[in-house]
Amino acid sequence: MLSYVIRRVLLMIPTLFFVAFITFVLAHSAPGSPFDKNQNRPLPEATIERLNRLYGIDQPIQNQFVLYLNNLVHLDLGSSLVKDRTVADIIGSEFPVSAQLGLQALFIALAIALPLGIVSALKQNTGIDYASLLFATIGTTIPAFVIAIFAIFLFGVNLRWFPFIGWGNGCGPLPSCDLKRMAMPTVILSLGAMAFLTRITRASMLEAIRQDYVRTARSKGLREQVVIVGHVVKNAMIPVATIIGPATAGLITGSFIIEWMFNVPGLGREFVLSINRRDYPLIMGVYMLYATLIVIANLTVDIVYGWIDPRIKLGR
Amino acid sequence: MTPRVKAPWSLLVAFMSIALVITACQSQPAGTTASQAPADQADPNGELVTNMGAEPDTIDPQKESFVQEIGVTMKVFEALMTPSLKDGKPIPAAAKDQPKVSSDGTEYTYTLRDGLKFSDGSPVTPADFKYGWERLCDPTTAGDYAFTGYIVKGCEKWNEMDTKKASKADLDAARQAFLDNIVTTNNAITFKLTEPAPYFNSIAAIWVGVPVKKAAIDKGGDKWTEPATFIGNGPFKLTEWKHNEKMTFERNDNFVGHDGQKAKLKKWTQVMINEGAVAFAAYRNNELDIYPVAAEDLRTIQGDADLTKQTVDGPGSCTFYIGFNNKKAPFTDPNVRVAFAKSFDRDQWVKDIIGGIGKPATSFIPPGIPGYDAEDTFQKFDPTAAKAALAKASPEATAALANLKVTYSSSARNKTRLEWFQQQWKTNLGVNVALDPVDATTYTQLVKKPETLPTMFLLGWCSDYYDQQDWLTTVFSSKASSARVGYTSKQFDDLVFAGDKELNPQTRDQDYQKASRLLSQDAAAAFIYYDATKLLEKPWVKNYSITSLGFEEAHFTDAYVTKKP
Repeated sequence: MLSYVIRRVLLMIPTLFFVAFITFVLAHSAPGSPFDKNQNRPLPEATIERLNRLYGIDQPIQNQFVLYLNNLVHLDLGSSLVKDRTVADIIGSEFPVSAQLGLQALFIALAIALPLGIVSALKQNTGIDYASLLFATIGTTIPAFVIAIFAIFLFGVNLRWFPFIGWGNGCGPLPSCDLKRMAMPTVILSLGAMAFLTRITRASMLEAIRQDYVRTARSKGLREQVVIVGHVVKNAMIPVATIIGPATAGLITGSFIIEWMFNVPGLGREFVLSINRRDYPLIMGVYMLYATLIVIANLTVDIVYGWIDPRIKLGR
Repeated sequence: MTPRVKAPWSLLVAFMSIALVITACQSQPAGTTASQAPADQADPNGELVTNMGAEPDTIDPQKESFVQEIGVTMKVFEALMTPSLKDGKPIPAAAKDQPKVSSDGTEYTYTLRDGLKFSDGSPVTPADFKYGWERLCDPTTAGDYAFTGYIVKGCEKWNEMDTKKASKADLDAARQAFLDNIVTTNNAITFKLTEPAPYFNSIAAIWVGVPVKKAAIDKGGDKWTEPATFIGNGPFKLTEWKHNEKMTFERNDNFVGHDGQKAKLKKWTQVMINEGAVAFAAYRNNELDIYPVAAEDLRTIQGDADLTKQTVDGPGSCTFYIGFNNKKAPFTDPNVRVAFAKSFDRDQWVKDIIGGIGKPATSFIPPGIPGYDAEDTFQKFDPTAAKAALAKASPEATAALANLKVTYSSSARNKTRLEWFQQQWKTNLGVNVALDPVDATTYTQLVKKPETLPTMFLLGWCSDYYDQQDWLTTVFSSKASSARVGYTSKQFDDLVFAGDKELNPQTRDQDYQKASRLLSQDAAAAFIYYDATKLLEKPWVKNYSITSLGFEEAHFTDAYVTKKP
């Protein structure tokens, strides 16, 4: 087991190298430069050339890449080219916000999706099943920004139940949480994942319920509860666990739409804007973070498999 | 991470309109009725909340270049001069009076007012101003607007040095050579210029040369722009900066303006709401006191009596135009340029496309900027003259009309705009023009280089300071700071270069006026409209002046709020 984990961790290095390489090449091949900021008040060409020279963007791309890797190995993510801050500083202050928002949303999504998916599979083709299907379909098809704008107008402007701007002070100890302020972004972010997870849970429950081992368990005379919890649910969780890993990485690295609409100072919004503005060090920094988290999430999922289903042997 | 949707804005606008129509029918939130407001009295503890949109990239005065960044700097710092609210001409701010100019027009001496202090109580000296200029021209600062300092002797040479290749001795020598051209006494500062430049006084009124405290910058290092070390001599001090969320400014009690006044507001909070629709919702919820109206909002506002009453109009600072690549067929032929310039109905454009937030433009310099010429109407809409001009075009130019396309920065809004032009050209000239949208950063890249300049494109130019030089010389002369349309005219060059140096104000204005008219007649570009500002202001906001540039000192010190109901 330990040797397996070590091997997987070592494998992360080439994986991350290729991610860095591909991202770097793609980011730099988009036309334009970080200093092409304002169409209507462009900087003089001489100024842009001077800035390119100063930040080394005039160098051949392979030199830039080697320099970047060298800095990366020394854990130096560089400075943003458009903002007066270092990449580490930006990620350091914005990733915790996105991570908190994402974890809250994930928690809510799981808390509702798993029971809902299980129940609707057990009561297949009943009212509750249809209701959950309807919810799952709506949650998947209506984009978050549509829900967000209606929620802002309904709950923010008309009913005045929730504030909708900013993130407050985040959460230190729980009583200091600005829960009202976090409510709308968290719930709306969770909807997509919730709907998706409900569908997956329901589908894999239905699959598991028809398996021979379930019939065997029932014929052995096991109590229905034991059959469901011990045999059906446990086996149905394998596909769900596969999804949860990357979904977690996706949620905690931030959602552009939610952060944009609710003014949450998170990483998702920063990342998309950095692409539009060709802020290469920031694009790279966030992408490397994202890649690392995905790799870790996948590894975690693989380890969890072994626990859910002992037949899946690791390290062979 | 959700990079799935890159630009939801256009759709957002559509959905917003639906949401707004729905909510517009419902009752207003409590507290927006003007009648409840008490008398016109300033609340001594008044707070104004406005939206700055995106977070500033930097608020370092010697690095920045964006409007909202400058808005921060000029709350916290006071330059030597400031543009007057009346006509934009520079009036004294930190300086006691107008500068003393040497007889040859190359030396400007400013005497500081007595008793100037930074917000931490330390005195402001000419050396602090000099240090600001040193940072501006220092190549290691890498400021966007260093070029505005090139008029001071030695700045350009030092600033353009390659800090990686040049030896330290060379850099130091260039630095010293530059510093020798700014002479300070205990209460005055003298700038030596490369040539006579009457617009220098306007540059002394912008953000680039504000005084900065060396001790604070050394202490704060890369993070000196955080509130602890961002110390200025202006009407406000920055007391909080929550990145990507908001900035809070409080009245600087160590500041006394030229008129003896302090800032009337106790507190000014600027939140950072990116999405216009959300900002509008926040305004209606009384969480914002001021909201800049977009054309998309007009329907909602017209349908709401309270909002209509809260509308205020003011000038803009930009002129938008269809650029022609003057070096590429068919626009090498002036007849074709003139034909296109006269071929679209600007009144209809202003009415239908920009919802009246702007004015038709037939010349380059907008109203409110010196040099605006209301009588220059050569380019006015005239389909008959347009067709006649096109008929006179050379055969090569006529052939090149066949596959013409217009390039623009891709957005739903721009698409509508260019489709309108497409229609106008088809109807009034009988020319089919294809649309060529590209993404915003790519577009900026394309239009700045002569070799990649599209044949036809939509562009604008906005003011940095109130002077013709910032418009005519900077954009269309052979010394233009970035290649724009490839327009070359010896006659135009001679006129603007003479104007740049001319010490007699009347002669100077005449030189620029001739140049500006020549530009319109040569149709180097087809001017479309001057932008404008339309704001919604809560009834308790008073004296908030809407100006072209938005960084005049009085713009910050005069605004106040009455007690909010």
